[in-house]
Amino acid sequence: MNMIATSQADHPVNVQLPDAFQALQAYVGVWALATETERNIQRHRQSMPSIIAFKDAMMAQIDELLVFVNRKPLAEIDEVETTLLKLLLSLAEIAPTVECYNQQEVVYGFDPRRFVAEEDFSLKPVY
Amino acid sequence: MSTKRAFITDDYPELGKGPVPVEPYISPEYYEREKEHIFKKTWLEVGRVEEIPNAGDYMVKDLACADASIIVVRNKKGQINAMHNVCSHRVNQIAYEKCGTTRKFSCKFHGWAFDLDGNLTGVPEEECFFDLDKSANGLARVACEIWQGFIFINMQPEPAQSLEDFLKPMFGSIEGYPFEKLTSGFSWVSEVECNWKLALDAFQEAYHVAYIHGLSIADAVEKDENGAMPPLGALCGEYHRRLSLSGNQKSVYGNPKAMTEGGAAFEEALVEASKSKPISAAALRGAVGSAMHDFPIEALPEGMNWTKSPNWLFDINVVFPDLYLSLRPNYFQCYTFRPTAYNRTRVECRVFYPEMTTAGGRFFVEYMKVALRDVLLEDMSTVERTQKAAETGAKRFMFLQDNEVLVRHNYHAVERMLERNAAQAAAE
Repeated sequence: MNMIATSQADHPVNVQLPDAFQALQAYVGVWALATETERNIQRHRQSMPSIIAFKDAMMAQIDELLVFVNRKPLAEIDEVETTLLKLLLSLAEIAPTVECYNQQEVVYGFDPRRFVAEEDFSLKPVY
Repeated sequence: MSTKRAFITDDYPELGKGPVPVEPYISPEYYEREKEHIFKKTWLEVGRVEEIPNAGDYMVKDLACADASIIVVRNKKGQINAMHNVCSHRVNQIAYEKCGTTRKFSCKFHGWAFDLDGNLTGVPEEECFFDLDKSANGLARVACEIWQGFIFINMQPEPAQSLEDFLKPMFGSIEGYPFEKLTSGFSWVSEVECNWKLALDAFQEAYHVAYIHGLSIADAVEKDENGAMPPLGALCGEYHRRLSLSGNQKSVYGNPKAMTEGGAAFEEALVEASKSKPISAAALRGAVGSAMHDFPIEALPEGMNWTKSPNWLFDINVVFPDLYLSLRPNYFQCYTFRPTAYNRTRVECRVFYPEMTTAGGRFFVEYMKVALRDVLLEDMSTVERTQKAAETGAKRFMFLQDNEVLVRHNYHAVERMLERNAAQAAAE
């Protein structure tokens, strides 16, 4: 399998968000990630100011965003709504950094690279 | 010494109150005895029935603690079988992948074929063999039984005790928990350099919560007037044990039923969260009503929250030897701590939520799951350090308080089974 071609085809930067969420467009390329493993890696790669800026942008419109994505059943969401959901999942991923630790890593935590999410677990929801 | 407070440990005088030895955590010889008299002779949880829903679905479980690789497969009749992953011909491994779907199992070495019940159905060049009785040479079976959708195997083909008899005394009262409504599962695996009992012990008490989880979920657990977090109650049986804990209803993590109940629980959960953890509050707001099912508290089995506390958060249920099952109103966790060496453990942690019908609901699940995962990283932060420290031999005993009674019971339960099964083996 050609890994490079696959990742370019899936690259999230190309999805345009609706006008109401233009303030979040800059974050799509960084945070619209499909798996917990990718989101966790990004959390540890980004600086705290960058994480806080993302959090602030999301929280400034959070209830509006939730109303928007909740209009349709989860099984029927389109590409735009899926992108917004991925941003929400990343917001969940960084929540502990801003709510608990004031840093990217769990304070005195076990190495997250050794606590491996089974992305192919058969009972994991698609979304 | 104050005697005002009643001690849980007083209910179990056979456990004593003295120091508990460190030796079982650091002894290779002790582990060899555990392998022979516990892991090769008792029921071990290996997964959920939903993982192999259709005929031909299988998974392979590598059990170093039992020196075995076991195929768990659903046959054409819908039953689940378990058998050694060892070909009857020249003992090659049959299944190479950790899971899959197949019409039959074929050995890649010489093409011997076995059906989904392990019967030997095909031998290439069969005419070249000498009196080969196919019917006597299927894959070696191990016992396999189901409890509440959990698949258990026992290395003894005819176990001394059925799974039901093993579990019912302690866990009969929690049967009927809505496992089948909690189908969105997440799983993590880690190879950890510590004894399996050490890893399990980290989850058998709440004494550590204010320290290990001081930055994360300490605010979700109810504190008494001294700032301590005593359990609501503890139950210690012949082998199994349970611990019941209360939660701070004014937090999101401490009041998970708020997501499915809405109403007053929802309002209460937001009281502190809106200010202190606004992301959690937003996730709860976006998720209310999104779960596929209801989880009425009154419909939960009798044995959950056995002290009937209004602030009940969850029960810890430890199924001997190595299964931790934490049941909450509307989600559950299922962890195994299974040894691969005397000082190495394969930790598998799973959490199951209801399927959510909206993206907001899925966001809430992710919030709770990430919070849980980071809490696990906190729990796992001590175990490798403790193992190294224990192996120095500088300290030979542990001192356990009343609320660590499950840690004390673990020591006694392991000793009990080792003694009983060794005596039985000697008698045979």
